[in-house]
Amino acid sequence: MTQQHDQNIKSRPMTGPLEGIPLPDLDRLPDYERGFWEASHSGELRIQKCSECDMFRHLPTPMCPYCHSLEYEWSKVSGKGIVYSFVVVRNPVHPAIREKEQVPYNICLIELEEQEGLRVCSNVLNIAPEDIYVDMPVQVTFMPTVEEPNVVLPLFVPSD
Amino acid sequence: MTTSSADINGIKDKAAIVGIGETEFSFDSGRSELQLASEAIKAACDDAGISPHQIDGLIRYEMDTNQETMLIQSLGIENLRHWESVSYGGGAGNAVVGHAAAAIAAGFCNYVVCFRAANLRSQMRLGQARNPQRIAGGQQAFAAPFGSMAPAHQFSMFVRRYMHMYGATSEHFGWVAVTLREHASRNPRALRRDPITLDDHQNSRMVVDPLHLLDICQENDGAAAIVMTTPDRARDLRHADTLTLVEAAAQGSGPRNEGVIYRPDISVAESTNTARDLWARARLGPSDIDALMFYDHFTPFCLLNLEAYGFVPFGEAKDFVEGGQNIRFDGALPINTHGGNHSEAYIHGLTHSQEAVRLIRGTSTAQPPNKTINRVLSCSSVAQLSAAVIIRRG
Repeated sequence: MTQQHDQNIKSRPMTGPLEGIPLPDLDRLPDYERGFWEASHSGELRIQKCSECDMFRHLPTPMCPYCHSLEYEWSKVSGKGIVYSFVVVRNPVHPAIREKEQVPYNICLIELEEQEGLRVCSNVLNIAPEDIYVDMPVQVTFMPTVEEPNVVLPLFVPSD
Repeated sequence: MTTSSADINGIKDKAAIVGIGETEFSFDSGRSELQLASEAIKAACDDAGISPHQIDGLIRYEMDTNQETMLIQSLGIENLRHWESVSYGGGAGNAVVGHAAAAIAAGFCNYVVCFRAANLRSQMRLGQARNPQRIAGGQQAFAAPFGSMAPAHQFSMFVRRYMHMYGATSEHFGWVAVTLREHASRNPRALRRDPITLDDHQNSRMVVDPLHLLDICQENDGAAAIVMTTPDRARDLRHADTLTLVEAAAQGSGPRNEGVIYRPDISVAESTNTARDLWARARLGPSDIDALMFYDHFTPFCLLNLEAYGFVPFGEAKDFVEGGQNIRFDGALPINTHGGNHSEAYIHGLTHSQEAVRLIRGTSTAQPPNKTINRVLSCSSVAQLSAAVIIRRG
């Protein structure tokens, strides 16, 4: 019971990407995933969108799961969304999380405003985990990872 | 109109579970996974009253390290006529039982064994981060950089959303934990036998908010096995007095389940699909079931499954489990009388089907008093792929 969580004491907000944990290998990504990370590197959130039926999809796939077209584009989205669900990790399961004392941290499932059910996994910065709530409005921001400056993560901050 | 697969129940009562066996459960077995598998399968054969030489079918979990050839060698199997592996850890839980029954119904083999053997504590731990440091694409690449690296991280997303949608609280999950531990306290096989209170649950450390430590299943070593054959052969074996039949089985997925958290509605379990098919195939409903074996990797999924299988309306499981009386072994609808993954042992759901057999034989250590158990539902809900079987008294 060493990590007893006191409801009255708020944990520190996240201010940037987690350090020392697994990252995508940009050189080895399949072609149908690369656009997401290239856009993020350019400071844009782009989501795979079918050129035939115009449906967004995430996770990326080579074929549209709605109309089965192989044609798609990387469509820029507003970066606005809501927290659809979230968790707060308090037990470090990765050595780098443990060694760098990075708990607690939040993992948020962000539903983007462009399409119902269109969600990305991310972190919300600048807010104590105790203050995050379902349906909270958020806005995307971009930050490079410490280990691989070429890997830029789309992260989110609270918006009004 | 063409017939739906849900209208066909090709395995109905064609396979009998004649033997169950397991090793002791521990946090460090001190022996190989091949030895664990061999011991559990031998124990199940002993329970059935057959020799391992008679086994001619094996249904394994794809994750299991024990290959068919290794077991042919170790058990002295003369001729393996049928083998299958079922993918996805917990999703294979009840699926292996359904597949084994199908193999018997199809006549592919005479004595089929399904098993799971693993050192899931002293060797590979499923609860730890297992991603490579550089990910060559796929769902991990879109999750791990944000710290989503373990099953508890993904499944907690379901739990938070479920709480938001239906007003369930951590205390409701706590009542499941308290009840499962009480069942385990009566079970000498169980790893965790000290009774707990709701306060103990609430005061246990937060692992992945909203999940407390006492919401999460064990990580342990051990093995379990089940032997099946035809009802005709079963009548000549050790448990001839209690014929135990596989009445129906189903599996299901729902859409968009890669990466777990992108499903259309994550406050609802994918097992709603499995449930619909199972009831249609069996031509049965919730009121026909006497006890429930729920895959309880995380306690909230017992609530999701109560709703998915129609035992209570959506959103009302929290009221049903409150206080624990309804789901205790002596309650209206006992859940996991062995203590489940939560307190007995985590053998990837195979112990749940074993306990269903014990309930029908009347040999559970938490046997419901003053009530004959005729039908047990054993099912999983692991947020991606699920499986279910109905096991009944013949």
